[in-house]
Amino acid sequence: MIVETKHLIKKFPVGKSFFTALNDINIHIDKGEFLGLVGPSGSGKTTLLNIIGSLDVPTEGNAHVLGKSIKDLSAKESAILRNRHIGFIFQTYNLFPVYSVYENVEFALLLQKKTASERKTAVMQALEWVGLTDKAKARPNAISGGECQRVAIARAMVKNPELVIADEPTANLDKANSFHILDTMKKLNKELSTTFIFATHDEKVMKFLDRIIYLEDGKVINDETIKTESL
Amino acid sequence: MIAFKLAFRNLFNAGLKTWLNVFVLSLAFISLVFFNGMIDGWDRQAEVDTKDWSIAEGQFWTPGYDSYDPFTIKESHQVLSHEVQQLIKNKQVTPVLLTEATAFPEGRMQTVLLRGMDVNQDILKLPLEKLKGKKNAVLIGSGMAKTLKLKKDDELMVRWRDKNGTFDAITFTIVYIFDCDVPSIDYGSLYMDIEALRKLTGMDNEASILISNDKNLTAIDSWVYKDNDFLLADIKEIISAKKTGGYVMTFFLLLIGLLAIFDTQVFSVFRRQKEIGTYIALGMTRQRVVSIFTIEGATNSILAALLGTVYGTPLFIFFTRHGISLSDTADMGSMGITASDIIYPYYSVGLIGSAVLLIIISSTIVSYLPSKKIANINPTDAIRGKVS
Repeated sequence: MIVETKHLIKKFPVGKSFFTALNDINIHIDKGEFLGLVGPSGSGKTTLLNIIGSLDVPTEGNAHVLGKSIKDLSAKESAILRNRHIGFIFQTYNLFPVYSVYENVEFALLLQKKTASERKTAVMQALEWVGLTDKAKARPNAISGGECQRVAIARAMVKNPELVIADEPTANLDKANSFHILDTMKKLNKELSTTFIFATHDEKVMKFLDRIIYLEDGKVINDETIKTESL
Repeated sequence: MIAFKLAFRNLFNAGLKTWLNVFVLSLAFISLVFFNGMIDGWDRQAEVDTKDWSIAEGQFWTPGYDSYDPFTIKESHQVLSHEVQQLIKNKQVTPVLLTEATAFPEGRMQTVLLRGMDVNQDILKLPLEKLKGKKNAVLIGSGMAKTLKLKKDDELMVRWRDKNGTFDAITFTIVYIFDCDVPSIDYGSLYMDIEALRKLTGMDNEASILISNDKNLTAIDSWVYKDNDFLLADIKEIISAKKTGGYVMTFFLLLIGLLAIFDTQVFSVFRRQKEIGTYIALGMTRQRVVSIFTIEGATNSILAALLGTVYGTPLFIFFTRHGISLSDTADMGSMGITASDIIYPYYSVGLIGSAVLLIIISSTIVSYLPSKKIANINPTDAIRGKVS
């Protein structure tokens, strides 16, 4: 099991009261799943992803990710978990503008203190997965939105993580680019058995998912395993 | 190391903005080194000149003599003992007899000091050999000559009192005018053969002060020893005051440079919040991100030192070789300040090292102050650029 949440509650202070973003979430996610958290804005998708990604902690209950209790992790342990085992893909790509494509992908490996040759091999392989070896020297502002998101996928995958968390990865992309991105991620999911968790309300994404967890007002209202489009 | 690597990468990739900050900071660095180098050069020159022309390795004063109190001159003379005569013979000391007098250049009246000195001495640079074999001859400094409008071979009537208080007068001939950067030597004194002055004043075998050529000589019977720390104290004080003025100027230049870094850092923490959130998401602790931003700011100062070295080195070499002329800007001698017309700056390793250290430490501090806010940023908000 990659992820397990038990009676997970997350509340945010709003003035003198609290807003409950997640209310008693109990889910488990296995290795190799291609799963989506689906729901309208404010349903708690991103909050749940942040907790699974150890960027946030639950108010009550707990989440176990790769056997680690998120609530009990120190700042350093949580940073190590993210660095070694979890890849992130964001809606707005979040690439470093002053770095080249190659340097952006290389970044996570720098933190792992890998040698230059190990980094080069891994980065070039990751860029090959996403079909961007020819753009290695380009800066993010010199490539298209679709290419930027492919760089973000390469950055998430370069360290061979067990889990990739993608928050609305296609929200800023057109249909063709969305398809390309999802196709790439699905292939990586199959080839490397990497678990992907998406937060989305994009129907294009849903067509690719193996499992969809529907959230509404911070609660799971449906959890279904579905048959996806063949690649 | 990774923090340094990332900081350098961020800075170099940021392009023109980085170089503007670096350039302003390098100006502060260069001016700090330049000004202090000039002051140090001046300090060294002034010390060397004062020792060469006035104090050598120390002085011995007649008890009661005070160089700051002209009323003590009249009584400040004593007979040279056998021990002193032996020291003079060994060229360890040279005697100076002081007598207050009044000169009348072109009918005007001017208080002067008659300084009788051994024409064969070689402890001080004064060209007293020009007096050899000449009767009623005196030397004066070029500053005094300019002030009194006197020139070589001019005649100058001088009146003085002998040891009994009786007035006497004589017309001296100015046989030589020397150039000297030490105002206490240049201005207000007439230099003559000590034997001639002894005859004029009736102070046979007497002297007011002894100038020593021997560092180890610190006591001669009743004479009061004055070491160079005491004798150079005035110059040190003047130079220290000048240095403080220079520090103020440098402080403002440094402030501009540091403000540029502070401003960039504050702006960076705000503008680069997505980047900060992404750093954390990719596996950095907040503290590590703080260190990257701090190092980035501090690296500005390292680049400033390097850039300053690139354009400052030829500048400094030029000034070290050719000096900086002060003659057109100020007549320092007439203000009582020991300074040659051309100052040769002195740039020591210590000076450059301390300037580099000052810039690095101060820029690290101003970089850290805004960067430490990162420690309180919520990464989930930062990733979406929602930190206010």
